[in-house]
Amino acid sequence: MKKIVKILIVGVLSLLAFLVTSNNVNAAQTPNYIITTDATYPPFDFQDKNNQYTGIDQEILKTIAKRQGFTYTLKPMSFNAATQSVSSGQADGVIAGMSITDERKAVFDFGTPYYRSGIGWAVKKGSNIKSLSDLKGQTVALKTGTSGADYALSVQKKYGFKVTYFNDSDTLYNDVINGNAQATFGDLPVIQYAVKNGTQLKVMNSKSPIQAGWYGFGVQKGKNAKLLAAFNRGFAEIKKDGTYDKIVAKYLGASATTFTGSKQDNSSVLGILKANNGAFLKGLWQTMLLTILAIILASVWGILLGVMGVSQNAILRSLSTTIIYIFRGLPLMVLAFFIYIGLPGVIGMKIPAFTAGLLTLVLNEGAYTAAFVRGGFAAVDRGQMEASRSLGLSYAKSMRKVIVPQGLKIMMPSFINQFIITLKDTSILSAIGILELTQTGSLIVSRNSQGFRVWAIVAVIYLIVITLLTWLSNWVEKRTRA
Amino acid sequence: MMSEIQKKVKVHVEKVNKSYGENHVLRDISLDIAENEVVVMIGPSGSGKSTFLRMLNQLETPDNGTIVVDGFDISEKATDINKVRENIGMVFQNFNLFNNYTVLENIMLAPVELGKLDKVAAEKKARELLKTVDLVDKADVSVNSLSGGQKQRIAIARALAMEPDVMLFDEPTSALDPEMVGDVLEVMKNLAESGMTMIIVTHEMGFAKQVADRVVFFEAGKIQESGVPEQVFNAPKNERLQEFLSKVMHA
Ligand SMILES: Nc1ncnc2c1ncn2[C@@H]1O[C@H](COP(=O)(O)OP(=O)(O)OP(=O)(O)O)[C@@H](O)[C@H]1O
Ligand SMILES: [Mg+2]
Repeated sequence: MKKIVKILIVGVLSLLAFLVTSNNVNAAQTPNYIITTDATYPPFDFQDKNNQYTGIDQEILKTIAKRQGFTYTLKPMSFNAATQSVSSGQADGVIAGMSITDERKAVFDFGTPYYRSGIGWAVKKGSNIKSLSDLKGQTVALKTGTSGADYALSVQKKYGFKVTYFNDSDTLYNDVINGNAQATFGDLPVIQYAVKNGTQLKVMNSKSPIQAGWYGFGVQKGKNAKLLAAFNRGFAEIKKDGTYDKIVAKYLGASATTFTGSKQDNSSVLGILKANNGAFLKGLWQTMLLTILAIILASVWGILLGVMGVSQNAILRSLSTTIIYIFRGLPLMVLAFFIYIGLPGVIGMKIPAFTAGLLTLVLNEGAYTAAFVRGGFAAVDRGQMEASRSLGLSYAKSMRKVIVPQGLKIMMPSFINQFIITLKDTSILSAIGILELTQTGSLIVSRNSQGFRVWAIVAVIYLIVITLLTWLSNWVEKRTRA
Repeated sequence: MMSEIQKKVKVHVEKVNKSYGENHVLRDISLDIAENEVVVMIGPSGSGKSTFLRMLNQLETPDNGTIVVDGFDISEKATDINKVRENIGMVFQNFNLFNNYTVLENIMLAPVELGKLDKVAAEKKARELLKTVDLVDKADVSVNSLSGGQKQRIAIARALAMEPDVMLFDEPTSALDPEMVGDVLEVMKNLAESGMTMIIVTHEMGFAKQVADRVVFFEAGKIQESGVPEQVFNAPKNERLQEFLSKVMHA
């Protein structure tokens, strides 16, 4: 028992050390920049049928990087997370179809404006909404943090509509198509591209973008001047030699299937599975890795906190209670954003998304684990401790030899339950851009617009894994019940 | 009489008080128990017998007063209570066998964990003890499959495995079906005959008469009377003792 605990602790520490330092090792080999992007923003940023990130933004960036001789690691996530990662110093630059606004200029330094865009609005095909004034009393779906959303809010009073928010475009479009919302505001080329790809929406102002403005490549204000300069030099070059126009034409002029795959690939579950099996497997692997590591670490942490919670020392007890209170109280996503986006600014060190996600899970699930561990230990008959102490065993030894084994048995069902919750909770971490199963699903849907089929596949995969996990846990439980 | 006094004092209790909030449970208790002596404590419910007994191995701590066991002043903070407890066996009303171990493991746990015996020697010792409590065939069963009487005999064996020189019993037969009581008392009687120093809280008056060197009557947190069984049972002086005896004898 002692040995196992020792090995576990050493393992956990070295793993954490690895997760934290592995990022620093990368940072040492400059210049490799971390660039964030919106994972689902076609035609600017999206995954093609081979699950490669592509789009106008991505090709511009790739071409410039090659010519200017810098390398970068791309971190696709939600638009909000992408911009916040840069403003908090987690990443070096963001290219995500981001409009240059005065507000953003306060936080970012922008490169040469690279694409003229504007806001468009769209309704469901066949809708009888004809003008903005028809939106009175209706619901408008918006993507968080976009200029489309800003504009919609600025005219909300005037036209009298309600708003609802989404983090990714595809869910948003579906909300309009399903009739939950009646219209959406967004960047015109983005909506147009979606419509061209078969999204059942009608663009209401294709010829007259509202608040025409520019997209820009952004870095944290006052930082990364070198990267910005390189981007600007490279951009001037590709603009001059026609590469830029070719890139734009390629995405806005191409037929949908060029990027999204053939109809066959997308119109059946089997086709989708075949076309994306690599992506699904990768996503599943990330989900499993997160789940397994989180289960192990959260259990160790939770048991430790739980033991503290029943200790004889009042300070340890209240420390345990406080930690449990805080981390059970925080919503998982808030904790994830806090660790990934908030914390680095304070501690002055980047935290990779995977590490941040794992830490989030361990703290959250660990707190829940600690609560039932504490309860489980308390549920062991007091006489057991007294008998052990009366024989001369110390408190610690009595805990280890008598109370913990019996407590663990009482807690077994709670542990299995917590394991399953942990698996499901990993999906929330898609918000900070971890490419696990849920995020993989989002990306594929954003490309092929097959929401029903893709989410059905993802759901079935989760169910299969949960079933396996339950079986495994039950088997272990039976084995330990001597 | 002379020989009694010259005997070594095993347990020395002096002016011990204990309160739970407003409830003054033990009031200025003083008591000496000699080596090899068997003391039986009787008294009505709530009179403080368990509290007193549990104080002797510090499962409860006194508010003040002195308790010396085996020459160790356990009311002293510096005393290593774990070391002292190794020499004080305790048997509980509810057995408190370790549910996560087999019978044999229950008996072996303390000697092995405390480095008193290695595994082989501890097992040999455990099997011997099982013989003395007449439960050899139960060595490898889970404790939950035992009857109450069997459990209590295992609990005694578990305590004896540490080779204590004082044994404390807190109503060891109160949770047993009547037909089981005899087996447990038999084991305790043999133990008394072997010379063990024993302090026993019990309502078994017949057993007390038979085995006790001294009977101590607790009432309202005080020792109201104590003496040899013949005197306490046949010629009680204390009024409350008389009352108590008439109740339990005619029950
Ligand atoms: N942990 C405790 N907290 C508060 N009060 C207690 C505690 N333990 C015992 N008491 C109180 O102390 C008094 C003496 O209890 P004790 O258990 O010593 O009596 P007893 O003589 O053993 O009685 P019984 O024959 O019922 O076992 C009782 O009034 C009891 O309620
Ligand atoms: Mg009692």
